Amino acid sequence: MHAAFPRVVATITLMMMVPVVMAADRQPAATKKSASEGVEFFEKKIRPVLVKHCYKCHSGKAKQPKGKLRLDSRDFIRRGGETGPAVVPGKPGTSLLLKAIRYESLEMPPSGKLPEPVIADFQAWIRLGAPDPRDKVATATTRSQPGMSLARGRRWWSFQPVKQQSLPRTRRSKWARHRIDHFVLAELEKHGLAPSPPADRRTLIRRLTLDLLGLPPTTAQIDRFTADKRSGAVRQLVDRLLSSRHYGERWGRHWLDVARWAEDNPTSEATNRPHPDAWRYRDWVIEAVNRDVPYDRFIKLQLAADLMPGFRRDDLRALGYLGTAPTYHKDPRLSKTVIETIASDDWDERVDAVSRGLLGLTVGCARCHEHKFDAVTQEDYYALAGVFASNWKVKRPLVELTEAQERRVIWAQDRIWRLKVAISLKKDPATPSTPEGIASMEAEVAALEQTPYLDAPSMHAVYDAAVYIDGSDPEFTWMDFRIGEPRDLPVFLRGNVATPGKIIPRRFLEVLSPDSPQPFKHGSGRLELAEQISTNAAPLAARVFVNRVWGWHFGRPLVMTTSDFGAQGQQPTHPRLLDDLAAAFIANGWSLKWLHREILLSATYAQSSRHRAAAATIDPVNRWLWRFAPRRVDFETWRDSILAVTGSLDTRPFGPSQSVDEIKNVRRTVYATVSRRQVSPLMRLYDFPDVAQHVPGRDVTTTPLQQLFVFNSEFFIQQARTLAGRIDSTSDDSQNIASLYHRVFARKPSGKELVIGRAFLAARRKTHARTAWADYCQAILAASELIFVD
Amino acid sequence: MLISPPPTRRQALAAAGSGFGLLSLAGLLAAEKAPPGRTSAIRPNPPAKHVIFLFMTGGPSHMDLFDPKPALQKFAGQRPKTVDLRTERVTKGILASPFSFRRSGRSGVQVSELLPRLGAVIDDICVIRSMYTFNPTHTPARNLIHSGNIAVTRPTIGAWLNYGLGSENENLPGFVALSHPRSGKLWRSGFLPSKYQGTRFSPDETAPEKMIRYLKNPSQDQASQRQQLDLLQQLNGVHLAQRGTDSFLEGRIQAMETAFRMQFAASDAFDIRKEPGSIREQYGKNTFGNNCLLARRLVERGVRYVQVFSGPGQPWDDHHDIDANLRKRCPDIDRGCATLLADLKQRGLLDETLVVWGGEFGRTPVSEAGTGRDHNPYGYTMWLAGGGIRGGVAHGATDEFGFRAVENRVNIHDLHATLLHQMGIDHEKLTYRFSGRDFRLTDVHGRVLHELIA
Repeated sequence: MHAAFPRVVATITLMMMVPVVMAADRQPAATKKSASEGVEFFEKKIRPVLVKHCYKCHSGKAKQPKGKLRLDSRDFIRRGGETGPAVVPGKPGTSLLLKAIRYESLEMPPSGKLPEPVIADFQAWIRLGAPDPRDKVATATTRSQPGMSLARGRRWWSFQPVKQQSLPRTRRSKWARHRIDHFVLAELEKHGLAPSPPADRRTLIRRLTLDLLGLPPTTAQIDRFTADKRSGAVRQLVDRLLSSRHYGERWGRHWLDVARWAEDNPTSEATNRPHPDAWRYRDWVIEAVNRDVPYDRFIKLQLAADLMPGFRRDDLRALGYLGTAPTYHKDPRLSKTVIETIASDDWDERVDAVSRGLLGLTVGCARCHEHKFDAVTQEDYYALAGVFASNWKVKRPLVELTEAQERRVIWAQDRIWRLKVAISLKKDPATPSTPEGIASMEAEVAALEQTPYLDAPSMHAVYDAAVYIDGSDPEFTWMDFRIGEPRDLPVFLRGNVATPGKIIPRRFLEVLSPDSPQPFKHGSGRLELAEQISTNAAPLAARVFVNRVWGWHFGRPLVMTTSDFGAQGQQPTHPRLLDDLAAAFIANGWSLKWLHREILLSATYAQSSRHRAAAATIDPVNRWLWRFAPRRVDFETWRDSILAVTGSLDTRPFGPSQSVDEIKNVRRTVYATVSRRQVSPLMRLYDFPDVAQHVPGRDVTTTPLQQLFVFNSEFFIQQARTLAGRIDSTSDDSQNIASLYHRVFARKPSGKELVIGRAFLAARRKTHARTAWADYCQAILAASELIFVD
Repeated sequence: MLISPPPTRRQALAAAGSGFGLLSLAGLLAAEKAPPGRTSAIRPNPPAKHVIFLFMTGGPSHMDLFDPKPALQKFAGQRPKTVDLRTERVTKGILASPFSFRRSGRSGVQVSELLPRLGAVIDDICVIRSMYTFNPTHTPARNLIHSGNIAVTRPTIGAWLNYGLGSENENLPGFVALSHPRSGKLWRSGFLPSKYQGTRFSPDETAPEKMIRYLKNPSQDQASQRQQLDLLQQLNGVHLAQRGTDSFLEGRIQAMETAFRMQFAASDAFDIRKEPGSIREQYGKNTFGNNCLLARRLVERGVRYVQVFSGPGQPWDDHHDIDANLRKRCPDIDRGCATLLADLKQRGLLDETLVVWGGEFGRTPVSEAGTGRDHNPYGYTMWLAGGGIRGGVAHGATDEFGFRAVENRVNIHDLHATLLHQMGIDHEKLTYRFSGRDFRLTDVHGRVLHELIA
C-alpha cells in the first residue's frame, strides 16, 4: 500500500491537469494537448491492463465474449454488455467496469482482484473522460445468431403436417397385413433383407400378454389360443387383453415414466415436503389408459383439467402431472434473488417436462441463451415459463365445494404452512431471530386447522395464481401468490434472475405457430398451452407419442432420441411410416388402443424373434425390423411375473403405495412407492429411472449386483419356497419338474432340461435333502426365460 | 439414450463368433474399457489412477483449521468497515479463532493445533486456501462440489470418471460411496448410463454383508451355491442355445459368474477386520477411520473413486459452539486423514492416488450466535495430496479476515478440471450427449491448475 501511494497522487495530479471532462472522440481543438496526454495515460495505464486481464474473455479473441461484453474498442467498452455500459465517460460511479474491478458487483477479473493503484488508475481514467483511441475493432467476430432461423425452423421435418403416405412398392407385398408392414418391408428390401416367418402361437400369446398386461399368460390361456385356428383369433386375443384392467397398469406405467411421476422431491425440507396423495394421479393415469381417453384430451386434463368445460373435481387428480412435479427447497432465510433463482428452477423443470416429454423439443436449452440448434428463442422459453410462474402448487379438495370455500382452503394451507415454518425457524437456535409471537402464531395455526374442507380427500394440483417472491420481510423471504393474476416473466439474461430483460407475454412457441403466436388470455394459460399442443403442434405431438409407443412395443423407437425431435435429435429410420401412422392416429381420434391394434396385428410385430446370422450381419441392431427384437423385460414385468407364477401376486388395484423393498409387498409393481429422494435401491438396480426430471427412456443394464439379488435376496428365496410348496410333490422327479415347468413357463420341459433337473435334484438331496426342491425352484425362477421375451 | 445394449458389446460378441462359450469375460471387458467417442479425451499413463474424496459435510471452518488469520484476534467482536462481510444470515462481529497455528514440516505450512498429525505429513499436502464456490446453501453447494452444478440431475465426479475410464476390477464397483443414505445421492450418474453410478455402502458397518445388499446367502456355502449356479447356468445355456446368440442373455450369464466371484472378492475387499490390529488403531476405530482404511483397501484393488463422507448429517455445519465442536471432532479426522496419507505412501500408492479433502464451502470470520460461524462460499480451504500434486504447498490466499479468496483464486470447476487432468482426462473433451447438447463435468468452465502439479 505504501509503495503505491505516490502513484495515486500522480493520477490525481494528472486529473487536475485536465479540467474538462469529455469524451476523447469529441475533443475540441483547444484541448488537443490534454487529449494526447489522456491517450497516453490510456496507453500506459489502461490498455496493458485490459489486454492482460480482460481480453481473453471480453474481446474479439473470445469465441463468445462473456456477458456479450467486449472491451477491445471504444464503442464496445461504452456500449457495454448485457448489464449495461461498462464505461460512462466522466462518471466513475455509474461505470460498471469500475464496480466490477472493485469486486462490488461482478468480481472481475475472476483470477484475483487487481491491485488498488490499478483500480485507482481506472477511476482516474474514467473521470478524465475515458480517452480511448481504439476506434478500429481488432477482429470482427461478432457471430451471427447460432441455431436455426424461424423460417428454416418452420420447414423442420418434425413440425410438418402429418398426412397419409402413399404405400411404397414392394416385391413381397403379400406379406403385409397393415399399412405399417408396407413401409417396413420397403426398407427391408432396400437393405437386402427379408422379414422373418411369423412367430409360433405360444410365443405370440406370451409376447402380447407381457407387452399389454405386463403379466405372463396362464397355461389355460395359452392352450385356448394355440387351439383356436380361426383367422380372427389374434384380434380377439388383443381385444381381450386391451379390455383387461391390468392393461392400464402396464401402459399407465409407461406414461408415468414420461410424466416423471414420483411421490416426493429430490430433497425434503420444510418448503418441499413429499406428496402423500400422489398415488391418486397414478390411479387416474391407469383409469384413463384403461378407458382409452383420447391422447389429446389426456394431455389437456393433465395440464388444465380445472379449466376445461364440464370439469369434475375428480379430474383434479390429473393435475398431479404438475402438482407432483419436482420442487426445490426455498429456505425463507435466503435472499430474494436466491429464492427467485430456485423458483425459476421449478418453472424450468415444467418447461423441460412439457417440451421434451410432450413435444420432443429441448426448449430448456433456451433458458440462458437462444437455442443453439433449434428455432427456439429465449423469448419462447420465458413465454412458456410464464405459464408455470402463474400457478400455485397446492392441494385441492376432490369433493364438491364453492370457489370461495376452495380459496379459503388454499389460503389456509399456505398460511398454516408459513406459520409453521416461521415457528420452527424462530425456534432454531442457529437462526438469529426474535422468539416473540410464537404463542400467538401457534394459536392461529390451531384456529386455521378448523377451516372447512381442509382435511377432505385432496390432490396435489395447481391453482391459477401469479407467483412472485416477496423480499419485504427483513427476516424471511416468502413466495407471494396472487390469485386472479397471471405473471408474464421477463427474459432473464443468461438465465440470471438478477438481470431481467424484456417482459414476454405468455404464449406458445413461435416456430410451432402458423403466424405470430397470440398471447394467452385465460388465467395462467395452461388450457391454451394444452390446446396449442393438440392443434398447432399436433403433428409434432402425435409423432412424438406414436414414436414412444412404437419403442415400447418393439424395444427400439423409430426416432432413437425419443424426447428430442429437433436438430440435435436423430432422424427417423422410417420417416414415411412415422408420418403415416401419426396421421392415422390423429384421424382415429388419438386413440391409443387403436394404435396398439394397428401395430400388434401387423405382420411386422408377428415376426419370429429367431436370430438369423445373415440378416444380423447386414443389420446387427435390427434397425430395419427383420425380426421381432427379443429382449429383457422391464423390472415391473419381471417382478410381477415371478409373483404371478408363484401364486403370490395380490392383484387388487389402486390406492396408496407400498415400498417394493418391503418383503410383505406382493402387489403389482406399478403400486410401489416411487421416490425422487431415495429411489428404491432394488428398482434402481434394475434400471428404474431417476425421475428427478423427465427421462427419455430407460437404460437396459446387466450387472453383477443385479444377480446378487437373484442369488441371495429374501424376496427371491421366499418366492422359491412358496413356489416349491405349490407343486404337489410326487416321488417322480420328472413329473415334479414337468409340473413346475407347466406352472412357471407354461410349457413342457425338454428332454435335456429334464436330465439337467433330475441330475441336480439327485445330487442335491445328498447334501441338502430338506431344501433341494426349493433350491431347484429358485434356479427356475432365476432362469433367463422368465426375464426375457421372444 | 441407450435403449438397445451398447454396440461395443455387440461387436465384441460378433467378433467372438459363436457367442456363449467362446467368449471370454476379458474380451467383454476389453470392449467396455475403450468406450467409443471418449478415447480422444483420454491421455495414456496419467499420474493418478484413483481418487479418494474425503468430504467434510457441512462446510469446515478454514480459519480454524488451515488458514490462519491474525486479524481475527485484533478485530474480535468488531465489524470492520473496510470489508463487506455480509452472508445470507444475519451475523455479528468477528469471532477470533480459539486455536493456535503451527508451522509444520520442512515446508513450514501453517496448520491448526487441532490437526497435529496432518501437520506432520504437510509436506505431502497441497493446501488451497483460495477456494470459492457459487452457492451459500448446503444442498446446492454440495451438488456443485460433487457434480459442478446446483441441479440434482447432473452426474457426479465418480460417474464421469467411470464413464471415461471404465473399470479396473469388474468384481467390484468402480465408484464406491461410503455415505449415509440421506446425503443427497451425491454418487448418482445423472444422465449418464446407470452403470456408472456410485454404489453406496453404509459407512457405519464393518461387516461387508451388512454394507452390500444381498452380498451373502443366508444359508448356502460357496460349494452349495456353486452347485445351484451350475444348474442355473446349464438351464440358461439351453435357453440361449435355442436362440443362437443374444447379447443380453450372454451378458447375464457372464454377470452371474462375476456376481458369484464378487461375493467373495467384496467380502475380502470390504472387510477391514482383516487388517492387523495395529493398522486399525492407527486409523482409529471409529466410522471415519474405518472408512479411510476401507478406502485404501478399495483403491488397492482397483476401485477408481471412493467417496468418504464425514457424517451423518452435516457435522461441520458449526453455527454455534465451534470451539467445543471442533475440539471434539478433529482428532478422529486428523488421525484418519494423516494415517491414510502415510499408509498410501508407504505402500507406494500415494503417487497414483489423488486424495481430496474439503467441504461444500467454508465459514465466515464473523459469528452468528457469538460462538459459531455462518456459511461462506466466497473463500475457503480444500487440500489435495498425492496423484501427482505438489506437496508442502499453501496455494492462494483469502483476504485478511479469511472471508473472500483474493489471490490465485480457485473455483470448484478448476478443481474438477485438475482432478480429471490428473486422471488422464481432458475436461473439455470428455462429453456426453444428452437433451440436445454435449455436457461436461466442468460445463463451460474450469482451468487445470498446472501450478499445483508436480
